[in-house]
Amino acid sequence: MRNTRKVVLIGLLVSLGLILHFVEAMIPMPILVPGAKLGLANIVNLIALVLIGFRGGLTIFFLRVLIGSLYAGTFLSINFYLSLGGGLTGYLFMALVYYLFQDKFSLIGVSIIGAVFHNLGQLLIAYFIIKNPGIFYYLPYLTLLAIPTGIGVGLITYFTSRYLPVVEGGGAGDG
Amino acid sequence: MKDLWHYLTRNDKILILFLLVLSLSGILFPFNPFQGKTGEGTEMFLVIQKGNQEEIRFGLESTYGEPLYIEVEGPIGISIIEASNGKVRMKEAPPDDLEKTCVKTGWIENPGPMIICIPNQISIWIEAEETGLDGVSW
Repeated sequence: MRNTRKVVLIGLLVSLGLILHFVEAMIPMPILVPGAKLGLANIVNLIALVLIGFRGGLTIFFLRVLIGSLYAGTFLSINFYLSLGGGLTGYLFMALVYYLFQDKFSLIGVSIIGAVFHNLGQLLIAYFIIKNPGIFYYLPYLTLLAIPTGIGVGLITYFTSRYLPVVEGGGAGDG
Repeated sequence: MKDLWHYLTRNDKILILFLLVLSLSGILFPFNPFQGKTGEGTEMFLVIQKGNQEEIRFGLESTYGEPLYIEVEGPIGISIIEASNGKVRMKEAPPDDLEKTCVKTGWIENPGPMIICIPNQISIWIEAEETGLDGVSW
């Protein structure tokens, strides 16, 4: 029964992540910095990390990027690798901070770390594609914007996850 | 905002402050491998790079008056670059570039920012080079 709960929750969170991704694409945002994003889909990564644990969150992340790219027709394109690289780097560092320093950082801190490393991972992949170090000119602008977006994502996750039960046998410690 | 302060731990605040200082100093002292001094005695050059290959380089002075259109072919199609009155922008990206980040970046006219089309592997920037002439000798 517990396993069923987990499967259902993974399915729900994958679809929620896909919706958030499309909703974000529809929000008209001024291009302050090329490549800057709200990172709404990161809400799902963080909720999954808190509710289901590391492996569950990773599964949800991979499924979301895979299905999202199949919908958008970008599977195995450069955009796909950018999403995968940025998202994975962000998720791994969030998990690291969440498990090792849970008593020191709130979900807001964890989400800011995720946003910063998402940017870093994505810029590194972009650098390997266009092979131009000038791209790192934008890094400080991106890390600056990671503060408000990270705070937003962290607060949303905090308030949402408070109302959702942790999946037994899958919460913190499952890594 | 008062409430937000309540949700942050001590380490959160340190992290935010650290990031703020690091980002702002990175913005004030930008990382730019192609930076040159702007101003008297320098000339602006437009550089277009495809992959790691420099494709085109020319002085922006020639773009006053008539706008100049340059077509560069990349892996997913043809990108159209417009240079006009010392400024440059990506006018058109191939239809397969769904996000069109390079077009949305708009005009650049100084060394530093870069127009980047990752799907088409094109980067465009402006370099300042000393020409050896100073303003007084004109």
